[in-house]
Amino acid sequence: MNTILKLEHIQKYYGNEGNITKAIKDISFSVEAGEFLGIMGASGSGKTTLLNCISTIDTVSAGHIFLEGTDITEINPKSLARFRRENLGFVFQDFNLLDTLTISENIALALAINKVPAGSVEPRILDIAGKLNISDILNKYPYQVSGGQKQRCACARAIINNPKLLLADEPTGALDSHSSQMLLSTIQSINEQLRATILMVTHDAFTASYASRILFLKDGEIFMELRKGNDSRSDFFDKILNVLTMIGGGQSHVC
Amino acid sequence: MYAKLVFRNAKQSVKDYLVYIVTMTICVTLFYAFLSISSSYYSPDIGSEYDFTLLSDGMKIAICMITLLLLFLIRFVNHYMLRRKQKEFAVQSIMGMEQKTIGRIFFAETLIMGMFSILIGIFCGVFCSQFITAMLLTAYGKPYEISWTLFPDTVLLTVVFFVASFFVVGIFNTRTIQKTKIIDMLSAEKENEPELKKSRFIPVVVILFLMFTLWELFSGIQNVRFYYDSRFVFPVKIMYWGNILLPVVTLGWAALWMLKKKKIAFQKLIDGLLICSVLHVFLAASVPALTNQYYLPLHGGILNQYLVFVLIDLLFFICALIYLASSLIVAWKVKSPEHRYKGENLFFFGQIISKLNTTSKTMTLICITLVLAIFMFIAAPILTGWASGYLDMRSMYDVQVYSRYNNVYEEENLPQDSYEIITEFLTEHKIDTVYDCTFNLYLSEKDDFHNRQKYDFPIVAISLSDYNTIREMLGYEQISLEEDEFTTQWKAIATEEERDNFLKEHTSIMTDAGELTLSGQSYYEDPIGETAYNSYTNVLYVLPDNICEKLLPVIKNRYITTTENISYENARKLEKLFTEKYPEQAETGAIYGVRFSTLQINSSIANNFILQTAMIYGAVVLMVICLTVLSLQQLLDAGQYKYRFSVLRKLGVEEKHIGKLILQQLSVWFGLPIITAIIVAAVVIAYFIQTISAEISAYIGFGALMLQIGATMGILAILLICYFISTWIIFRRSVNP
Repeated sequence: MNTILKLEHIQKYYGNEGNITKAIKDISFSVEAGEFLGIMGASGSGKTTLLNCISTIDTVSAGHIFLEGTDITEINPKSLARFRRENLGFVFQDFNLLDTLTISENIALALAINKVPAGSVEPRILDIAGKLNISDILNKYPYQVSGGQKQRCACARAIINNPKLLLADEPTGALDSHSSQMLLSTIQSINEQLRATILMVTHDAFTASYASRILFLKDGEIFMELRKGNDSRSDFFDKILNVLTMIGGGQSHVC
Repeated sequence: MYAKLVFRNAKQSVKDYLVYIVTMTICVTLFYAFLSISSSYYSPDIGSEYDFTLLSDGMKIAICMITLLLLFLIRFVNHYMLRRKQKEFAVQSIMGMEQKTIGRIFFAETLIMGMFSILIGIFCGVFCSQFITAMLLTAYGKPYEISWTLFPDTVLLTVVFFVASFFVVGIFNTRTIQKTKIIDMLSAEKENEPELKKSRFIPVVVILFLMFTLWELFSGIQNVRFYYDSRFVFPVKIMYWGNILLPVVTLGWAALWMLKKKKIAFQKLIDGLLICSVLHVFLAASVPALTNQYYLPLHGGILNQYLVFVLIDLLFFICALIYLASSLIVAWKVKSPEHRYKGENLFFFGQIISKLNTTSKTMTLICITLVLAIFMFIAAPILTGWASGYLDMRSMYDVQVYSRYNNVYEEENLPQDSYEIITEFLTEHKIDTVYDCTFNLYLSEKDDFHNRQKYDFPIVAISLSDYNTIREMLGYEQISLEEDEFTTQWKAIATEEERDNFLKEHTSIMTDAGELTLSGQSYYEDPIGETAYNSYTNVLYVLPDNICEKLLPVIKNRYITTTENISYENARKLEKLFTEKYPEQAETGAIYGVRFSTLQINSSIANNFILQTAMIYGAVVLMVICLTVLSLQQLLDAGQYKYRFSVLRKLGVEEKHIGKLILQQLSVWFGLPIITAIIVAAVVIAYFIQTISAEISAYIGFGALMLQIGATMGILAILLICYFISTWIIFRRSVNP
């Protein structure tokens, strides 16, 4: 297995000299190609900050992040956008679809921005739509479809450029449990069938149980790491709950 | 407590209110600056020979009428503020504040901001009124000095007007806030205006247009029935028949759509009507052009009717074009995948189409208003140039007495008096004359006396000695004639073509005293005033004195120039004395009139000034309204745009591209109505200039006109660029994270 993402002693501080908040104290880990990594933690544990740093939306205070050997903390700010669209795919909690465009146009926009020849845009959309089961809503507008469908459209948009890394920030946060389950199966199949590397941030144990490995953050540091191995998903789910109880953030799930 | 909230809110949200303050300040500035001229304290040094009261009253009325338009703008800006603050209101009402109180707080805030704008506005107005004083003094030909004065009555009127309008608008706002549901306030930021497709605006426009087409059809048929002649040249035939056929085609298309409603989309109907309206603009506009060229027997009423048709077709063109604009873009998008999937184009199309769909009505109104503004800007110099050029032709003598025989049917009733009353008055008031010329105008043939047909009115003649006296008065060279020769004198309005044709046909004329031949110097064009010609004619014969003695004198005029200008007061007195003795319509049927250059100059400068100021003020107000609404429409949706552009940013679009997208979007938003308006205004102005081309070349000159139009367009362009750039800056700032 080759390492696709490597973080070395990442630190992130907010505020000025007199009043410093350490959002990330010292985090190092690496992600293998084709892995489905979950990051869990309570509110304020630094998970969104970490994701923002990896996605180049935010900058780190210290440390290095390597994506396939490129140090993304050293990239010239002007070429960051280009780097982002060529290497990363995003799925957000609130979908981030444009309501002025149809579902198919929303997906096409990601291709068009990446300067894909016009002729190959439509076949690629049809192909991905078939895989994610959204073929029949392609010509509808975002406000005409359900939340689950919107999020699957957002997934399609995120992976259509075959990014090296798919970043998902609380993808099930705005969905009901049934839609969440469907979406997670979709993400899992993206991981298994399309061999996409996925990094997913969540605070929900059920969502996290779809990942193959989970990092638990607490107060800006890695508190524990959990691997699924050959466990069934429900066993893995129980293990996650136990860890959460230890951290002190997940008692409600147990009681 | 609430007072504290009001002040703190006002202080903190000055930035939010920036658009409001700027708009209101512009309104107050314009209002104060133009109104200050009509103040009773305003006394510019225009000289004792002129009177200013006529101007003040006219100005006051004109300005108040135009300012009513500003109320719409005030209302619109308030609406914008209301929408911007919806979320804040929602939070306040969820916290438990009564909606009535919220409304009052908002009202107090806007009032404070309004007062602030009135203060700045009056200050700027004082500055701006200097320009207008400069304009006025130049109009009267006086030197100009800057003076800084505040007129209490104008200040009072300005404050009263604006505070009253704030209260009226404020009451509406408070009611709106009271009636709005909290949930609607919360979601107001993401809401769009209701879609136009569902509104009845366009169907109503189509029905009105079809009714006018029916009218066009009837008048087309009538013209062919009454004025058609098979000997007409081909273009004229096309004009006559086209004005019947095109309305038939238009109505036929609408009927076909009615029958096959399910098969033909509503848009196709509009497509067809749009094409018809464009063709009809050209056909209708060709009516006066061809009438001028081929002397068709169509009278003024019909020409005016076709002017109305051109206007209606253009209005429909604007409505239909903007209605169809979004579907045109959709069609283009569907047809060319290369463009659709190129870079951020998809996003750009989405932005434009969604905005156009929801705001075509506003866009249409803006476009029409812009046409009006551009037209007023350009027509103002034409009309005033015309009037002042005409003034120079009319007021060549200090005193000018003239008569007409149009209603005299007996020879003994013809005007023969030598107007001694004038001489008496001038001696009494010790006004010395330089030149004093009383002269007759003769009919070359006595038989023409009873000819009163307007199109064939007889040309009158002047004796050579009288003509030379007049020329001497005006500082022109003397002329001479051989025996049995005559020459002609022309009005400035006559065209070269008309003159050449006339001279070709009149190489000799018959008079009661024998036949005369045209002199080698066949015509003179130096202006000698409008009263030296017979009614409805542009030419005057100059005949040898011995011939004139044998002709019938029909008109008696008297021209006087004095050593110094007659004062305004004396001129009024003499005018009164004269009209008492020589009424405008005497019992004999003769018409008498007296003109004093003092009075003429005064009234026509005043009228000109009112006309010009009112038109320019109106045009500026309309222009400011349009541009403000256009830019507010964009800024109003800044909340939505911020979200949309942040999605683009997350997708990895560079800032440079985002900047380009914003520029593109604003260009389309400003460009579409402005370019449409410029095209339509160009057509209207071309039509206008074409109908009065004779007057323009006579009194203004096309070179000077083009210079004026160029300068006006320059000012408009500067105004537009200012608005565009400031919108662009605010827009960029509001979508940046």
